[in-house]
Amino acid sequence: MKELYIASWLSPYVGAALVLLLHKVGNSRIKGGVAVLSILTSALISTAAAMEVYGGEHSVHVSYTWVKSLDVTIGVYFDALSSLMALVVSWLSFLIATYSLEYMGEDPGQTRYWFFFSFFVGSMMMLVLADNLIAMFIGWEGTGLASYSLIGHWYTDEEERWVGDPGRKALGMPMWFEPSHAGLRALVFTRLGDVGFIVGIAALHCLTGTTNLHVLLEKAGEWSYSLYATGILHVFLALFVMGALAKSAQIPFHEWLVTAMTGPTSVSALIHAATMVKAGVYFLLRMTPIFIAAQHALHHIEPLAAHVYTDFFYALALIGGLTAFVMGTMALVSRELKLILAFSTASQLGYMFLGTAAGALIGEALLGVFSGFSHLMSHAMFKASLFLAAGAVIHAVHSRFVDDMGGLARHMKTTFIAMTLAALSLVGLPPFMGFWSKDAVILVAMESKAFIPFVLGIITAGLTAAYSIRMIIRVFLYEPSKKSGHAHEPGLLMLMPYVILAAASLVLGVLWPLVEEGYLEFLGKATLGVEEAEVHVGVEPSLAVGTLTLVGFGIITVYYIYEFKKLKPYRLAEREPLFRAIHNFLYDRWYINSVYYIVIVGGFRKLSSTLYRAWDRSVVDYLYHNAIPAFFSKLSSGAKAWDRSVVDYLYHNAIPAFFSKLSSGIKATLELWIDEGFHVFLVEGVLAASSRIRRVQTGVLNHYILMLWLGFSVLAIIFLLMGV
Amino acid sequence: MAVYILEFPVLLLSVGIPLVAALLSLVIGERARPKLHAALNGTSLLLSALLILYAAFSAGLYGIAKDPMYWNIPGIGTFAFVLDPVVFPVAISIAAVTGMVAFYSEPYMDHRYKELEEEGVKAPGWGTYYFLYTLFALSMIGSVLTTNTIEFYIFLELTLIPSFLLIAFYGYGDRVRIAILYLIWTHVGALLFLVGALAVGSKVGFDFLNPVTCKPLLGLGEKALSGSMLWAVLVVMTIGLLVKMAVFGVHIWLPYAHAEAPTPISALLSPNLIGIGGLMLFRIVTTLFPSSFASFSVYLYGWAFLTMIYGGLMALVQTDFKRLLAYSSISQMGYILLGLASATDFGVSGAILHYLVHAFGKAVLFMVAGVLIATLHGLRQIPKMGGLAQKMPYTAALALLGFMHITGIPPTAGLWSEYLIVRGAIDRCLSEGSTFFIVTGVLLLIAIGLSTAYAFLTMKRAFYGSLPDHLRGSHEAQEGLLVPIAVLAALGILSFFLASVFIDPLISYLHALHG
Repeated sequence: MKELYIASWLSPYVGAALVLLLHKVGNSRIKGGVAVLSILTSALISTAAAMEVYGGEHSVHVSYTWVKSLDVTIGVYFDALSSLMALVVSWLSFLIATYSLEYMGEDPGQTRYWFFFSFFVGSMMMLVLADNLIAMFIGWEGTGLASYSLIGHWYTDEEERWVGDPGRKALGMPMWFEPSHAGLRALVFTRLGDVGFIVGIAALHCLTGTTNLHVLLEKAGEWSYSLYATGILHVFLALFVMGALAKSAQIPFHEWLVTAMTGPTSVSALIHAATMVKAGVYFLLRMTPIFIAAQHALHHIEPLAAHVYTDFFYALALIGGLTAFVMGTMALVSRELKLILAFSTASQLGYMFLGTAAGALIGEALLGVFSGFSHLMSHAMFKASLFLAAGAVIHAVHSRFVDDMGGLARHMKTTFIAMTLAALSLVGLPPFMGFWSKDAVILVAMESKAFIPFVLGIITAGLTAAYSIRMIIRVFLYEPSKKSGHAHEPGLLMLMPYVILAAASLVLGVLWPLVEEGYLEFLGKATLGVEEAEVHVGVEPSLAVGTLTLVGFGIITVYYIYEFKKLKPYRLAEREPLFRAIHNFLYDRWYINSVYYIVIVGGFRKLSSTLYRAWDRSVVDYLYHNAIPAFFSKLSSGAKAWDRSVVDYLYHNAIPAFFSKLSSGIKATLELWIDEGFHVFLVEGVLAASSRIRRVQTGVLNHYILMLWLGFSVLAIIFLLMGV
Repeated sequence: MAVYILEFPVLLLSVGIPLVAALLSLVIGERARPKLHAALNGTSLLLSALLILYAAFSAGLYGIAKDPMYWNIPGIGTFAFVLDPVVFPVAISIAAVTGMVAFYSEPYMDHRYKELEEEGVKAPGWGTYYFLYTLFALSMIGSVLTTNTIEFYIFLELTLIPSFLLIAFYGYGDRVRIAILYLIWTHVGALLFLVGALAVGSKVGFDFLNPVTCKPLLGLGEKALSGSMLWAVLVVMTIGLLVKMAVFGVHIWLPYAHAEAPTPISALLSPNLIGIGGLMLFRIVTTLFPSSFASFSVYLYGWAFLTMIYGGLMALVQTDFKRLLAYSSISQMGYILLGLASATDFGVSGAILHYLVHAFGKAVLFMVAGVLIATLHGLRQIPKMGGLAQKMPYTAALALLGFMHITGIPPTAGLWSEYLIVRGAIDRCLSEGSTFFIVTGVLLLIAIGLSTAYAFLTMKRAFYGSLPDHLRGSHEAQEGLLVPIAVLAALGILSFFLASVFIDPLISYLHALHG
């Protein structure tokens, strides 16, 4: 029976596969319907599992071996944290999918949209419910792929789909982004972080032989110590959380999230507000108890090593605080509705990092998990609601700029109410849920004595109030623009999800004081690695008053400027150089984007084109295909010359000439001589001899006898002389 | 590492059946329709893939499958055919890729013949094409099943001639010159390898696997040679194989050959042929010189990063689609080399698995480039593309899958190979100390970041954005081109789910080998 829980992530995957199979089916409602049903199944199953965990099981664990030699298993692991996260993800996905049925109803890319939507939900659920880091990473990468594809859903890049002001440049760099460009940015930015993540996983895998979270918790001291002993614990930690920082758009990886707003608004709501960007926070929530266990263990072995963790937690808190503040300031001046929400999302994610890391600094995993996750949950609800409502507004006025809105409260009353409720939760007014969760984060930050992050958190509360109220005023109140007149409410399928979510932010907020204790207890009892502890949560009156004062100040200022005085701050910015400089600095996102393009993108572009021209083509190619061949051709022509002038000449001229000289010489001398000798002298000699000899033959007998005697005499003398 | 003697010469047949098909094609020549040639050769290669699967499963995946027939050659050693867990992923991917590309060749070459005719060139006909094609394919399959360096060398040289002729007959641009360039480069590589092999073999024989147990003869070269001679031989053999792999410094032939080869041949050259250099670096060089290799592997480790990053940087500036893919292959060879140079079991497993991933992924990408060439009148210039996903959605989806393979994004098996390679590198770092770790971390960031950047930048430039006017009339390619690509992409996805079929036997084999 437990095995069925796997459907919590399998069902959306099956839904995605079915959407592909249904590609040829003309009726687009069927694809959407299949996707929504598969996600609903996932939500129901997750709910059943969560109830089982809450009912006293502490955890529900199903695990099948996938790759044995890597100890990778696939299954589900429901504990308190993952159950709650799974509930948030699956139910929000369901609501947003329902919204999409109407919102994307006329879109031609139905198959792509629903495929990647379901694929995303499956991957996100797999990430949340993984019991080992590799399975988590696979889900993680799956969400990244879906995000890439959905950001670039309108890949034909029409101007109405862009983000930023067409034509605007900052430091010479364009500040407008097409969907295809935005998708590329998102993928590259997050994959950079993922490299760090995978390096971290690999290191843990090397040291423990597994990436199973339970084992990593058990052996936390061991692996931390061996990393410390190698001198890389701090580098390891920095790399290991890089994936989380990039995914959750923390500074310096925040840039991709801003431009991700080119995607359909439903996608922005689901992926870039409510779920995927929280994956980094979730990772941190999941790992913090393990980190703390490691820190505790190190205390006993090597106190200096434990300090590495303290520094690490502080760095994370600082990154969180900075992100919250910096992104909050950008939201103040943005002119695009979705961009305001995107800046705000990154800013709120900063809060979540701050809360979690600050809890870890105190040394109480439970505090960190409590504050981080509470804000995650409340933000998921109100921000999804805000985005979905924004989608309806943008749809109604056919513009993404707030300048084209204003006065919409009259035409879209329900949307106005829903969006205001959600915005008040974002602002952090009691009794909205956002109040409790933000307060918890700031309280933990204060208790952790991380002063700078704490102060940044407080200031951001004021900023948040200001930009949220500015947004509501600019969209719904203020002066109506030309485009506002024709606006109307969307259909029920779109309206219901954001009304429900806005209402939930309020209702849960009202109920919060009642459920807080039980929720804390549940987290403490049934979260992997978290120990039950006597922790103080709740409202610290002086802190709450301080924060609320700042919030009130923010609200009043904005209200005074825009609604009471009906001022136009842009005009002021145009007139006053100082205001203009500040405005441009914030509007152009602190110039961080431009610096990235100039330094990193430009740097690599320059490097690669220079290397290609000056090295690959001019040196390597030239060396092998010109210089070396030329050398050899020189060599060979040299050889040829030698061949011609020496070898050839020698063999074919000199030697033959020698021989011919020799032969003609011989001919001239020896042969002639032989010739004459044989043919002249010999013949003549013989002739002469014969005529002489003929003369001896006289025919006279006496002469012959005389000659015989003479001959004998000569022979006798010779014999005598030789002494015979 | 149990040896399983196959009941019949399965592995020999996996080479022999394509040979029969190739010869038949040559004999039939123009008498048969091109489709028949494609079916004959494609089927023979897919049969070869099935036989390899059969052999692997007969040995229970973890064991070593060996043909019953082998030849003892006096003075040289034993020529046998063996399939073990290291070779299995490589052999199966060569057979599968060459099989599918054989089918893809038919519509593609139909287009190419017409182009050549317009140029006024009368290229050798279908019979010759398929004869050379299949000869090339089967010699690659044969080369990885070998147990003896001379046996390997013969197959390696055998790959060279048909591929040379295929480029010279059917290639683009200055094809004859490029074919010769290719021939010389890879021949030089092979010869360097041979010199080393002879130096070792003349003393202790040429077998690198024990003819009976089929286990690698670890340390054989170190027994045969010593001192500077050992190092010279190790370096010469390694460099010979690195030339084949086209790593940084000896890479420059690859962009020419792989970009200007007829596209089906590019789809074979780029992932399959060059990767064999990597496989054999492990299989022969690290077998003969295990401890010397380990001690000089740190240089290869650096060289691997240099290749990954350099290839990525070069790919980033290419405007020719096929040339971009060629530089990407160089970068990918860096990944394989990194796994091997980590000198760890996980890293080596990653390198071997990455062969398969790259085989599927890069074949898909080259075939996509071919689809664009065939349907858009020879269009290869990326700046002239854009918005093609509107008109060619399936092609765009396949290209995305191809790029996902080489960047390690699930659900493609690239995730596993990338993880294993990183795992191997980190394993190495942990024993080398903190500086090594930090440097590796930074280099991995740059290398993987670059791969992601050029891959998805190309997706954007070719397939997204607005459609230029001259492409308004473009349309999806015919099924004959798309289906083989889809099959290969699907195989890459299947390998993601069935990763344990490859990874578990590999790691258990390597663990057993290295104790």
